[in-house]
Amino acid sequence: MFSAEAKKKIPEILKRYPIKASAMLPLLNLAQEEEGWVSEEHMCEIAKLLDLTPPKVYEVATFYTMLNLKPIGKFHLQVCKSLMCALVGSDTLIQWVDQELGITPGETTEDGMFTLSAVECLASCGTGPMMQMNDDYFERLTLERFRTVIADLRSTGECELATGPFRWPDPEVTT
Amino acid sequence: MGNVKLTIDSQEVEVEEGTLVIEAARELGIDIPHFCYHPKLGYDANCRMCHVEIEKNPKLQASCSISVTDGMVVHTDTERVTESHKSVLEFILANHPLDCPVCDQGGRCDLQDYSHRYTPTVSRFEDVKRTFEKQYFSPVIEKQMNRCVSCMRCVRYCDDVIDAQALAPTGRGSSTEIKHFGEHQLDCEFCGGCVQICPVGAFTNRVSMFDYRPWMLKRTDTTCGYCGDGCQLTFQTRDQQSASNTIIEVQSFFGTGRNNGDLCARGYFGFGFANHDERLTHPMIKRDGVHVQVTWEEALEYAAERLTNIKAEHGPDAIAGLASARLTNEDLYVFQKFMRLSIGTNQIDSSIRYGHINAAMAMQTVQGTNRWTIAYEDIVQAHTIMLLGTNITETNPIVGLKVKEAVKKGGAQLITIESTVPVIQTISNITNLATLHLQTNPLAFGTVVQGMVKVVLDNGLVHEDTQTRYPQYVERLKQATSSVSVRDCEQASWVMGDQIKAAAKALVEAPSAVFLVGQGVLRSPGAFETILNVLDLLLLTGKLEQQGSGLGVLTEENNEQGALEMGAVPEYLPGPSERTGDTAKQIIQDLWGAECPAGPGLRLPEMIDAAWDGRVKAMVVLGENPIESLPPSAQVKDALAKLDLLICHELFMTETAKAADIVFPACSYAEKDGTFTNSEGVVQKVRRALDPIGESQADWEILTHLSNFMNVPMAYESVKDVQDEVRRVRSPRQKTATVDREVLDQYIAGETSNPDLNRRYAVTKPQMNDARPLILTVGQSLFHSGRMSTFAKGLNAIQADGALIIHPEDGAKYGVEDGGSVKIVSDHGEAVIPVKFNERRPPGTVFFPEHFGARIGSLLSMTTDPITGVPYSHSARVSITPVTSEA
Amino acid sequence: MAAFKKVLLKNMDKRGYTGLLKEYEKAGGYQAIRTVLGKMKPDDLIDVVKRSGLRGRGGAGFPTGVKWGFIPKDHPGPKYLCCNADESEPGTFKDRQLMERDPHQMIEGIILASYAVGAKTSYIYIRGEFILGAKILNRALAEAYKAGYLGTNILGSGTDLDVYVHRGAGAYICGEETALLESLEGKRGKPRSKPPFPAIFGLYGKPTVINNVETLANIPHIVNRGPEWFMSIGSPPKSPGTRVFSLSGHISRPGNYEVPMGITMREMLEDYGGGMRDGKKLKAIIPGGASAAFLTPEHLDVKLDFEGIAEAGSMLGSGAITFMNEDTCMVWAAERLLEFFHHESCGKCTPCREGSMWLLQIMHRMEAGQGRHEDLDLLLRLCGNIAGQTVCAFGDAEVAPITSTLKHFRHEYEAHIQEGCCPFRGKPSELVGTGTSHQH
Ligand SMILES: Cc1cc2nc3c(=O)[nH]c(=O)nc-3n(C[C@H](O)[C@H](O)[C@H](O)COP(=O)(O)O)c2cc1C
Ligand code: SF4
Ligand code: FES
Repeated sequence: MFSAEAKKKIPEILKRYPIKASAMLPLLNLAQEEEGWVSEEHMCEIAKLLDLTPPKVYEVATFYTMLNLKPIGKFHLQVCKSLMCALVGSDTLIQWVDQELGITPGETTEDGMFTLSAVECLASCGTGPMMQMNDDYFERLTLERFRTVIADLRSTGECELATGPFRWPDPEVTT
Repeated sequence: MGNVKLTIDSQEVEVEEGTLVIEAARELGIDIPHFCYHPKLGYDANCRMCHVEIEKNPKLQASCSISVTDGMVVHTDTERVTESHKSVLEFILANHPLDCPVCDQGGRCDLQDYSHRYTPTVSRFEDVKRTFEKQYFSPVIEKQMNRCVSCMRCVRYCDDVIDAQALAPTGRGSSTEIKHFGEHQLDCEFCGGCVQICPVGAFTNRVSMFDYRPWMLKRTDTTCGYCGDGCQLTFQTRDQQSASNTIIEVQSFFGTGRNNGDLCARGYFGFGFANHDERLTHPMIKRDGVHVQVTWEEALEYAAERLTNIKAEHGPDAIAGLASARLTNEDLYVFQKFMRLSIGTNQIDSSIRYGHINAAMAMQTVQGTNRWTIAYEDIVQAHTIMLLGTNITETNPIVGLKVKEAVKKGGAQLITIESTVPVIQTISNITNLATLHLQTNPLAFGTVVQGMVKVVLDNGLVHEDTQTRYPQYVERLKQATSSVSVRDCEQASWVMGDQIKAAAKALVEAPSAVFLVGQGVLRSPGAFETILNVLDLLLLTGKLEQQGSGLGVLTEENNEQGALEMGAVPEYLPGPSERTGDTAKQIIQDLWGAECPAGPGLRLPEMIDAAWDGRVKAMVVLGENPIESLPPSAQVKDALAKLDLLICHELFMTETAKAADIVFPACSYAEKDGTFTNSEGVVQKVRRALDPIGESQADWEILTHLSNFMNVPMAYESVKDVQDEVRRVRSPRQKTATVDREVLDQYIAGETSNPDLNRRYAVTKPQMNDARPLILTVGQSLFHSGRMSTFAKGLNAIQADGALIIHPEDGAKYGVEDGGSVKIVSDHGEAVIPVKFNERRPPGTVFFPEHFGARIGSLLSMTTDPITGVPYSHSARVSITPVTSEA
Repeated sequence: MAAFKKVLLKNMDKRGYTGLLKEYEKAGGYQAIRTVLGKMKPDDLIDVVKRSGLRGRGGAGFPTGVKWGFIPKDHPGPKYLCCNADESEPGTFKDRQLMERDPHQMIEGIILASYAVGAKTSYIYIRGEFILGAKILNRALAEAYKAGYLGTNILGSGTDLDVYVHRGAGAYICGEETALLESLEGKRGKPRSKPPFPAIFGLYGKPTVINNVETLANIPHIVNRGPEWFMSIGSPPKSPGTRVFSLSGHISRPGNYEVPMGITMREMLEDYGGGMRDGKKLKAIIPGGASAAFLTPEHLDVKLDFEGIAEAGSMLGSGAITFMNEDTCMVWAAERLLEFFHHESCGKCTPCREGSMWLLQIMHRMEAGQGRHEDLDLLLRLCGNIAGQTVCAFGDAEVAPITSTLKHFRHEYEAHIQEGCCPFRGKPSELVGTGTSHQH
């Protein structure tokens, strides 16, 4: 179910489009923002908002890989495994995750903190290996940087290594 | 649009502009292989099977999605094209389970046929086949995703044609899989369309799973026996030669019938009644209160003797007959002839008395014909469609599809005057497509019509032809409505006055308009007047006589119009309704060489009264079940018990059959030849698909024998003999009737009897009753039709029982739980029944499906229409209280 | 070389430039709309863009002005412009930088393009993963509204325009323009069969133009400096202007570099990419994103423009160049790309849906050393049966890695078959399966 806060955003979302159904992805994304996944109740609610049947929402939700239809860990690590990242070590990064957290793609740590997914290209091909963690990108990962990320997430729930507005090469960053 | 000429495989063809190449090829008899294309659905061009070479195009083109152009040169059989066809097949077969030997589609599968056509060599695929986890899908539809070719025909059909939106293609790429919603099993209209339109065996009919191989089946094209829409369907039966004489499944083919291949759950899954275990197979006579099996001869002889004696002793009018409007025209013709000629009485009625007669008489009065002056095609073409008192998807699903087509494809404006709330669910809801939805009190449909007439009169919206031709009539209507206000209508109907005005204006402005009226009106008090008022409204707005516009009345039973035209009511003799009075009588008397009985004849409620007080001594009842059709408070059972003789023709041991002294086992329509007349008046063939079950006989046959035993010879050897005679009374005429100007003039002049206009336009406010705050209506469910359908295994698998449908708000208000039970009380009785929440039911009203009416019969009382004699018992004022399961 | 001045990345190269409205304005931003809105006829703007020779930067390279010209002039009812910010082509990461670092440049382009085609509503379809990008764009849009560059009666010119950010949710195919429209309409992102083209039947069935971020970012500069200026840089007449190339792979300095079109691949690698990393030798180049055919060191002297790359047998595509060194197994590389294509096929067309799966299985076997000689022929035939047989160009793209590696590196396939393992890894490669976030 949408929270009261999320519900407040809905009218503005619907207003952007001449046809209600267009609000489908914005609403699915909004649903996912709440708990990290989209529940059946969410889909039914969206169906109602858009004058559709739940199956018509479901078919859209299953098409898009970012939408999780099952609960996932608090921190969703999505490692890009496409060729460009693979050339610079994404498979190794996946091994690091296993080594540090004991999970392979598709798995969640027992404490429900981390879920690992191997995903396709995230448009960071020049700054691999990289991963997306919830809303943030972490790029040019080394074992050390990766460990920092995990440690920071564990302790504070966030990490400064997250990429800001993107520029690469960045004259203001020296490696 | 003009025509264009093109060349396909060196043959020239001329087709309409805009035609797709695949269709142009079809005109030349060239079948371009395809999976995803279907003329009903338009193209999606996803299967890539239909590739052709079009000169001047470097790439192969999908012939399903390219329109012809003048001078186009197409090749469908070059090496390149064939290679492309083969490669698509190879791709599909790579992951296909090749389980043809156990697939119910085997033998009529497009994939099999094309594979055969292109005789693929050994598969080059040697890797692991994709497999989808098996999912239980529904009790009636079987899903086998490994066979799916992802053509999306099922989904497109469900979305675009049916509007149920129940199928979801899920996932992506090679893991695309059709599901319903999550892991939930399918919940939809169960029209069977996905099964029918699937080119392979991904969807099959679970009711007949593994029962057959398609090539073992014999096909019989016939007409559906459930509702008045009159769908053509094909019974697929096991070979008569083999031991079994069983309907295995139903199909309906694109391009055939008034339904153009579409069906509803009843048509598709409702075939099980014919081979039901409980079918009556032998004649029976009641001895010492027990039915004993006898021979036909014994039964007929006994019946003839008893009827002859009663007739001799008490006169022919002591005998009455009642027939179901599900029988064939031939049965009904012989039935009324038996009553009128062999018995010599006009005491004859049929189940059209439950409602359709209201419309028939009103239409007759105004139009001079009780047939539709429009056809289904006019609905599809209409600019504006008005639906009044018909939850059309559930009652008349196929006419409902015509309305959907008109709205979705033709852009028609739809105005619904209905009691349901437009809530979207996977059973489509016609009100969702409405441009204007007038949500009315379920007992006040007629008030909205009164309001619209008022609006037209008050705002100078009367069509100028009507105004100039019938100024006095317009004046009289104005007077009759002078004391009525739209505000009154608003209060009585719950519909806002502005909406009534908007609806009236829309009708006035529509270049063409079709008005469809359903059971919600026809089976409620005031129906006759409401239909007259609708006709007034059409007349005032210039739509009555306009071609393509007019009134259509939707019938619940398949042959109600037929029963009317076969004269199975006291008011009408067989023949077209345009022919009345002495002319009609003369024709029949000439044909029969005998007098037609005089006297108005008793109508059903009067028959019951007459049985009660001994004026009627014997009744012959054909496939009708008045004991259950009318509420217990009507005391039909007791009345029938007073008869000296009750003869019943039946398929099953109904309550009425139980009361009968003699029971004749009758054939179902699957076992006989004949015709049905659908609600728009089209006469369609019924063909024998099964050998009669047991010793059952067609009703006309039984009556022929009975008449002969009574020494009134009837010489029908076959149904054809009956048809030959019927043809002589049914004058040839065009398909759709037209308004008879002379009759209309008489109506306008006030010459024809009708309740006086003041009465007709007086608005009565429904009384409130605080102790009984809810309005209960009883009506049809999509998954059943009368009681016969409750003998169909497939339909029972979808819906096996009735529950009280109630809005969740009311549920909360009365402390009732979804799925729980309630005690429901009316002024006449009470019952304990299950409850189901549904937001489509407006708060303040509850609904129960009549097919399971025995559960709530005690709540209902009966009133009789003073003019048309229709017994009304479809609503009650009720209160509910929760019942805990422990109690 | 040295004389060349950056156009699109110029602002953001300035120290401390954050892309906020005031900075963009200070750098000369939003001048173009003052020149155009209400002062220039839309048709004249289209003409300017036509004369500039600008071609789409999204992949197909279609002349932008010509595309705009297809929009019916006297069409009643709404028309739409969609900015394609789905950037999902493996190797490509330029739009991300253009959006996050200088959003107003692109927004000004959107305003101009909308004006040219008569769109009153525009949507920026941004890939769902670009959450930061969406935030930055939304902030920039709010600034632009506030400054009167968006909304009703923009700068008193009588022009109205609303622009909205629409986030995707993880589907490469939604970068294909008609899939983008379907997705924007709230459906599964499946490409439409064409014709009708979006210019006639686009978003909600209305005339619609879809342009890439970089394409649109060029428009203000063309307006400000004139079509002749644009035509004079890069590789005219067919490939004028600059391009932002995204360099990735085994090079010293991966990243985005804006250069005039027409420099050579070698210049790109050495002058910008810093040459191969760790002193390794170059083995293969993918010149235009995952959908482009592999090239080899032989092609180092081809010109980086539309025709140059096409002549070499590949395509410039999205301007993403990936360099691979001598240690890279070409079978593995093609396999990896096939995993991408298999995962991203929308599943509409039989050849693409079934073919991608079949190809992938063969490639898995091949890389694991379990290939057969017949497989090589089979691969080529399957590729032939996919390319050109599908609704969208994805079908052509997915076979490119296989056909081109088979063409240039057939011996590596043969080595896999003969040795029964991957000669580069010695053992069957570990599969990082396609176990993805797709948890349904
Ligand atoms: C499979 C596929 C994926 C595509 N992905 C993108 C993309 O991510 N971004 C983009 O701008 N164009 C993409 N395109 C190209 C678009 O279809 C379209 O040509 C482009 O957005 C037009 O803009 P332009 O003319 O400015 O280049 C893709 C095309 C295909 C066939
Ligand atoms: S080619 Fe592939 S991605 Fe493109 S429409 Fe067809 S199935 Fe979808
Ligand atoms: S029938 Fe044309 S692509 Fe399927």
